[in-house]
Amino acid sequence: MSTEQPTETRQKGEPILSVENVRTSFYTDKEVIRAVDGVSFDIYRGETVGIVGESGSGKSVTARSIMRLVDNPGRIENGRIMYDGENLLDKKPKQMRAIRGGSIAMVFQDPLTSLNPVYTVGNQIKESLRLHRGMSGKEATKEAIELLEAVGIPDAHRRIREYPHQFSGGMRQRAVIAMALACDPELLICDEPTTALDVTIQAQILELLEDIQEERDLAIMFITHDMGVIAEIADRVNVMYAGEIVESAPAVELFESPKHPYTQGLLNSIPGQGLEEGGRLSTIEGDVPTPNEEPTYCRFAPRCPKAFAECDTVHPVPVEVGDDSTQHQASCLLYPKNLSKEEALDVHRERGAKGGDQR
Amino acid sequence: MSRWQYFLRRVLMSIPVVIFGTTITFALIRLGPLDPVSAILGTQYNPQAAEQIRTNLGLNQPLWSQYFDFMYRLFTFQLGQSWVIAPGTTAYELIQVYAPRTIWLGFWSVLIALFVGIPLGFYAGLNPNTLSDYVASFGGIVWRAMPNFWLAIMLVTALSQTGQWTNGFFTWQTWIVKTNVVTPPALGFFQDPIQGFLADPGGWFNSFLKATKQIAPAALVLGSASMGNEMRIGRTAVLETINSNYVETARAKGVSGRSLVWKHIFRNALIPLVPIITGEAFLLLGGSVFVETVFAINGLGWLFFNAAINGDLPLIGTLMYIFILILVGTNILQDFLYTVIDPRVGYEG
Ligand SMILES: Nc1ncnc2c1ncn2[C@@H]1O[C@H](COP(=O)(O)OP(=O)(O)OP(=O)(O)O)[C@@H](O)[C@H]1O
Ligand code: SF4
Ligand SMILES: [Mg+2]
Repeated sequence: MSTEQPTETRQKGEPILSVENVRTSFYTDKEVIRAVDGVSFDIYRGETVGIVGESGSGKSVTARSIMRLVDNPGRIENGRIMYDGENLLDKKPKQMRAIRGGSIAMVFQDPLTSLNPVYTVGNQIKESLRLHRGMSGKEATKEAIELLEAVGIPDAHRRIREYPHQFSGGMRQRAVIAMALACDPELLICDEPTTALDVTIQAQILELLEDIQEERDLAIMFITHDMGVIAEIADRVNVMYAGEIVESAPAVELFESPKHPYTQGLLNSIPGQGLEEGGRLSTIEGDVPTPNEEPTYCRFAPRCPKAFAECDTVHPVPVEVGDDSTQHQASCLLYPKNLSKEEALDVHRERGAKGGDQR
Repeated sequence: MSRWQYFLRRVLMSIPVVIFGTTITFALIRLGPLDPVSAILGTQYNPQAAEQIRTNLGLNQPLWSQYFDFMYRLFTFQLGQSWVIAPGTTAYELIQVYAPRTIWLGFWSVLIALFVGIPLGFYAGLNPNTLSDYVASFGGIVWRAMPNFWLAIMLVTALSQTGQWTNGFFTWQTWIVKTNVVTPPALGFFQDPIQGFLADPGGWFNSFLKATKQIAPAALVLGSASMGNEMRIGRTAVLETINSNYVETARAKGVSGRSLVWKHIFRNALIPLVPIITGEAFLLLGGSVFVETVFAINGLGWLFFNAAINGDLPLIGTLMYIFILILVGTNILQDFLYTVIDPRVGYEG
């Protein structure tokens, strides 16, 4: 448990990735699901940004939106995703393919099924090398072996000719990470990369990611619903609920003084308030609602212990809640604390009206 | 255990299967209700002749010695001769005449199923819930549901009438090459294909075309059930593969659409199709008896059917043995395909 990261890890300068008011909806037969609804956050070089939230809160769809891997019936409808000064949403498919795996790599939740069972591990790593670095033949093989060694797979020159089913779960996840690193990405998106692994292996993989990050000055976006893992790895945390980011803060500050009632609930739901590994976020009463309309209220209200009348009629916007830092925001009508309740409500009403789709 | 060791083991395991199947055949023939002697003699039954035949056939020997004799002969490919439907002709000669037609029929029906069913299924799977998917899926279901005999008879009727219907504009019988609708295909050109082709390429090609056209309607009927199956399974397999994590991972690393389909999707989607494809051999053996009758293709199925209704026991035994070999061979082919396509084969754990 390492909650002693420096609060101020953010580096100066431009963020490497800037997600601005993105909305991704799924047009199903029954309804339009706003899986991601007006999400904004930044990721800086060398930084690990954690995204937490219960199942169904839109974490994976956020990641997919950044990769532009949202499939039918899903559509990214609004917002910008700025990478390297350019909006990824304007990229042509071919340009996007060069970015995927090349500049932004992604590791998925299930290592057991992330590798194609009918090709060798080496083949799949070399595929990345060929696609983004034009390597082939001996050169690619050598590089692939080095990558496997870098992620701590022993006997790599033999392993490279083996098939995924000959690898253990932890080794497969390492191989997937090696594949993601093959092209020296600047940003690595990890969608619950350790959920399927047992605790020891999980710790090893987290350590591996930290080492790699240090070595390569990699930015990591880390999705999980495990608060223990977040405490371990994240510099900054975004808490998602029903398609929205409800609180965003440096990791230490979030754990020490969570402001949003949802975050408080999440942290309280971990036994012994200890951020034990494997602590899951399932003990708040009720379920995440499916966001299927424009929010004119607080989506957490039905489950919120502090809800009051206006929570059903005013949509909370992110406001500064930090005690001293300026990097702690929460979307809750209880804030800003230094204003009276009425004044606070006015802030939310006014900014909510201005917000919307035109960013 | 490596995949190929596993494959070898599967091949070895087919030996007991052949022995078992042949033993069952023996039991059915010798212990079944049919008496070969009366079948051979038919109406001219007399005890003396019967005794004579019994001795000739070795039916006076103890059963176990008959059994070993039977097994030994089959395994050394001494296939005996026909006693009833073509007395005195060796089974080998009969098979030489009848088998090629069945093989020709089987070849085309498998090919039709493969080259129509799988591409259609894959196409539908790659474009799910589009109009073409619905058309293909719906067509596949209707096609599969059509009973073989109905389809066969409709096709024979329709093809015979094409001349009248189109006022002579299109007549199946004279289209490209002159053929009858129901006929055994003329396969003489296969006797010595290379020589034949070199000597007279035009003529050889013409015979080839003719034989293909002759078999086409029957092959279509026989292949249609498998075609529908392959389409359906192919579609599901592609859909499943598309939504799998490894395809997602491949997309996330920037693999292009075409490579995604050919490299990552198709090979995996083929795996569930393997047993469907080889399972066709079983369908074929069953279906061929009937289809060969309707289309007057005097093949193995027809031969077997006649041997059976006439009680030609030695020939039945031999044909059964051949069928068993075909089935076992198909199973081996199936294992071979699995071994080639799927590296997980033979992996325990
Ligand atoms: N292809 C899709 N079609 C329709 N709805 C979808 C699709 N993908 C996601 N959704 C919806 O989007 C919402 C968010 O899903 P998402 O997968 O992002 O959740 P998550 O936070 O990653 O959850 P988990 O922790 O379970 O992975 C859910 O309500 C889900 O039903
Ligand atoms: S806005 Fe209201 S309901 Fe929503 S979290 Fe704050 S207090 Fe709870
Ligand atoms: Mg998810």
